[in-house]
Amino acid sequence: MLTLMHFIILSVILFFIGIFGVLTRRNAIGILMSLELIFNAININMVAFSKFLTPQEIYGVIFTVFIITVAAAESVLGLAIILAIYRSGQKIFADEMNLMKW
Amino acid sequence: MISLIFFYIFAVLIVISAIFVVISKNIYYSALWLALTLFSVAGVFILLNAYFLAGIQVLIYIGAVVVLTIFVINLTKEIEGKKEKQHNKQVIPALLASLTGAVLIILAVLKTDWSSRIINWTAYDETAKLGNFLLADFVIPFEAASVLLLIALIGSIAIVSLDKENK
Amino acid sequence: MEKILLSGFLLVVLPFLAFLIIVTFTKRFKMLSALISITAIFISFILSIIILVWQLKDPSSFLKYDIPWLYIGNLKMNIGIIINSLTAIMLLVVTTVSLLVQIYSISYMKGDEGFSKFFGFISLFSFSMLGIVISNNLLQLYIFWELVGLCSYLLIGFWYFKPEAADAGKKAFVVTRFGDFGFLIGILIISYLSGTFDILEIENFVKNGTLSDKMLLIVVILLFCGAIGKSGQFPLHVWLPDAMEGPTPVSALIHAATMVAAGVFMVARLFPIFSASPDAMLFIAYLGAFTALFSATIALTQDDIKRVLAYSTLSQLGYMMLALGSGGYVAGMFHLYTHAFFKALLFLCAGSVIHAIHSNNIWQMGGLHKKMPVTSITFFIAALAISGIYPLSGFFSKDEIFLSILYSGNKLLYYSAMFTAFLTAFYMFRLYFVTFSGKPKEEKNVHESPLVMTVPLIILALLSIFSGFIGIPDIKFSIHKFLFIEHLKEAHFDFKVALTSNIIALSGILLAYLIYGLKIINADNLKQKSGIIYNILKNKYYIDEFYMFLIKNIYYTSTEAIKWFDRHIVDGAVNLVAFLCRWTGGKLKLTITGRVQNYAMYIVLGVILIILAIYVYQPDVMNIVRR
Repeated sequence: MLTLMHFIILSVILFFIGIFGVLTRRNAIGILMSLELIFNAININMVAFSKFLTPQEIYGVIFTVFIITVAAAESVLGLAIILAIYRSGQKIFADEMNLMKW
Repeated sequence: MISLIFFYIFAVLIVISAIFVVISKNIYYSALWLALTLFSVAGVFILLNAYFLAGIQVLIYIGAVVVLTIFVINLTKEIEGKKEKQHNKQVIPALLASLTGAVLIILAVLKTDWSSRIINWTAYDETAKLGNFLLADFVIPFEAASVLLLIALIGSIAIVSLDKENK
Repeated sequence: MEKILLSGFLLVVLPFLAFLIIVTFTKRFKMLSALISITAIFISFILSIIILVWQLKDPSSFLKYDIPWLYIGNLKMNIGIIINSLTAIMLLVVTTVSLLVQIYSISYMKGDEGFSKFFGFISLFSFSMLGIVISNNLLQLYIFWELVGLCSYLLIGFWYFKPEAADAGKKAFVVTRFGDFGFLIGILIISYLSGTFDILEIENFVKNGTLSDKMLLIVVILLFCGAIGKSGQFPLHVWLPDAMEGPTPVSALIHAATMVAAGVFMVARLFPIFSASPDAMLFIAYLGAFTALFSATIALTQDDIKRVLAYSTLSQLGYMMLALGSGGYVAGMFHLYTHAFFKALLFLCAGSVIHAIHSNNIWQMGGLHKKMPVTSITFFIAALAISGIYPLSGFFSKDEIFLSILYSGNKLLYYSAMFTAFLTAFYMFRLYFVTFSGKPKEEKNVHESPLVMTVPLIILALLSIFSGFIGIPDIKFSIHKFLFIEHLKEAHFDFKVALTSNIIALSGILLAYLIYGLKIINADNLKQKSGIIYNILKNKYYIDEFYMFLIKNIYYTSTEAIKWFDRHIVDGAVNLVAFLCRWTGGKLKLTITGRVQNYAMYIVLGVILIILAIYVYQPDVMNIVRR
C-alpha cells in the first residue's frame, strides 16, 4: 500500500542528494542545479503531506506553486549572476571565489 | 498496488538521475539528468493526484529552468567540460554528512507509525479550486509572486547588461 | 507667597542663565558679557532685598517648596528651596558682595584675555553659592557645595598658564575634598538613619532624640568636616593662602566673603542638629578658637599683602566657628555678615593697590596714602572694622561673639579670643602702616584707581561702618529678633566686655603704629630677638612641609605596593583575557576560508548535530505523531 512514509523517504533521499551536490560541486551552475533538486524534494514533501493529511484542502499545492515560482526567479537571478561573473573574466568555480576571506 | 509499482519506478528514476546530476563529470550531462529527475517528480505528483502541479512542473522546470540552465552552460562552455575537476576537496566529509543526515531522518520516519494516514482518494476538480483560491484567498501572495517574477526579470537583465556597459 | 518663592527661584537661576549665555554666545564680546553678568546679579540683588523685606514682616516664618526629583523606595530626593531669616540675610550678603565685586572687576580685569570667561565663572559661582543658601535639603546642598568648590578651582587657576596658579587650584580642590568626603559620609549616615534629606525633617528627627549621643556626635563631626575643608579650619587650612594666586576680585568674593563662609553658613543652617550634641559644639568651639589664634600668629609675619588678608580670613572664620560652637548662633551669623563686607573691602583695596604697584609684596609699597587717598581711607575703615573698634560694624559682631563665649562660661576660650583680637588689630595695622604711610619706596607712576573700582570700595566702606548697627540690642530691626531660634538664650550687652575688647584692639593698633608707623621700635631687632619663633611663624608652622613629608614618605610607599598589584595582578588578568581572545581568534580565523561551500558544510554539520542532540536527549519527540 502506498503510504505517506514512501513519499517522505523519497523526499529525504532527494534532499540529501541535493545537499551533497551543493557541498561538492565546484561549478556554480552545478550548485544551482543541486538547489533545484532540494526544491523538488521539498515540493514532494509538501504535496504528499497535503494530500494525505488534508485531502479536501489544497493549501500544500498552493504553497508548491509559490515555491516553484520563487525557485524559477531564484534560478534566473543565479544564472544571471554567474553569467556576469563569467563575463568579467573570472572562473565560475565556487572554490575560487574567495574574496571574502580573512 | 499498481500505484505502488509506479511509485517505485519513479522513485528509482528520481534517485538514480539525481545522483547523476550531482556526480556527473560533464555539467551538460548533469543538466540532462536534471531534466529526467524533474520529469519523474512530475510523475510522483500525478501519483498524488496533483495533475495541475505535474503540468506546471513540466512546463516551468523542464520548459524554462532546465532550458535556461543549458543555455547558460552553452554560453560559458569554453572553460567547462571534462578538463577541469568538477568536485571540490570536501567530497568525503560531504558524503558522510549527507548519509548521516539521511539515515538519521529516515530512522525517525521509520520509527513513526503512519498506518492511520492512508490516502483517501476522492476525485474533484482540483485545478478549478486552485484557480479560485489563487484569485480569491491568495490573491495578494499571487500578485506578490508576479511582482517578484518581474523584479527577477528586470534584475537579471540589469545584472547581465550592466557588465556589458563596463566593457 | 508664591511671588516670594518665585523670586527666590529666579534669584538663583538668573546668574546661571548669565553663565550659559556668556559661555555659549557672548564670549567674544567682552563688555556685553560683563553687562549680562552684572545685570543678572543686579536683578538677584533686587530680589534678595524683596525677600528680606518680606521676611522682616515676620522673621520667624518660613517658606518651603519642593519639586520631586527621585523616589527610591522610601527615600525621597527633592529639589527644593527654603526661605527663612537665615536665607534672607545670607542672600543679601552674597548678592551685594557679588554685585560690587563684579562692578569692580570691569576695571580690574580690563585687558585680560579671559575677561568673558571670568564673568562667566563668577556668574556660575554666584549661582552655586545662592544655591547653597537656598537649598532645603542636604543632598542639594551638597551638590551646590561641590559646585562652589569647582568654581573656586576654576577661578584660582584662572591664570592657568602660571604654574603657581594651576597648582594652587589643584591644591584647593584636593584639600577641600578631604573635608567634603567626611561631609558626604555624614549626609549619607544622617539621611540613612532619618530616611530623608530634608533639613527640617532631620532637625525634627534629631530633636526626637532617637539617636544615641555617640552616633549624633559622629554624624555632627562628619558634617563639620565639610565646614573644616570649605572654611579652612585648622588641619585643612593650607589651601586658602595659596588660593590667593587667583585674581584679587575672586579672592574678595570667594575666598573672603562668601564661599569660605559657606562652612559657617552650613553649621548655622544645621544649628539645631549641631547644638543637639554638646560635645561636638565644644569641639567646634575649640577648633575655631585654635584656628583663629593660629592663623592670626602666622599673619603677623607674612610679606604678601593678600596672604596676610588670607590668614586674617582664616582667623575670622575661626571666630565664627568659635561663636557657633559656644552657642552663639546669632553672633556667628552676624560676624559672617559684617565680615563679608569689611573683608571684601580689604581685598578690593589690596587689589586696587596691586593694580597700581604690580606687586604683592608689602615692603615694595609705602606712602601710598597721598597717591591713592580713596583706597587708603577705605582700607583704614575696614582695618578699624576688623579690629573691632566702636562704632564700626566689626565691633558689634565681635562683641556679640565675646558675649556668647563669656555666656558659655569657658574662660580659656574667652582669653584666647581676646588675645586673637589683639593680634588682629596688630597685623591689620602693620599692613596699613607699611603700605600706606611713610615715604614712597619707588618713584613709580602710581595713581588712584578709576571710578569703577573706587565706587564699590566706598559703598563697601559705608557698609562696613553702618551694617553693624542692626546689632544694637533693642532697635526694631535688630538681628537678634530677626535670626531668632527657640531655646537659645541671648547674651546681654556687657559694657565691661565692650570696653576691654576696644582697649585691647587699640593697644594692638598702638603697637603697630609704634613699630611700623613711627618706627620707634625697630622691627628688624625684634625679628632677630624672636629668632626661632619668627622663623616658625614665617614658615606657617611648617604645616605644608609636614604634609609634603607625609605624602612623600608614607603615601608614596604605600602606593608603590598598590602600583605593583595593579601592574601585575590587575593588568595581568586583563592582558591574559586579551591574549586568550587573540589566540583563539587566530585559530578560529583559519575556518573562515572565504569559500561558501565550507560555510555550507558547517551549516549541514550543525543541523546534523541538532538532530543527534534530539535523538540523545529527547527520544520522545520522534514519536509525537503517533499519539
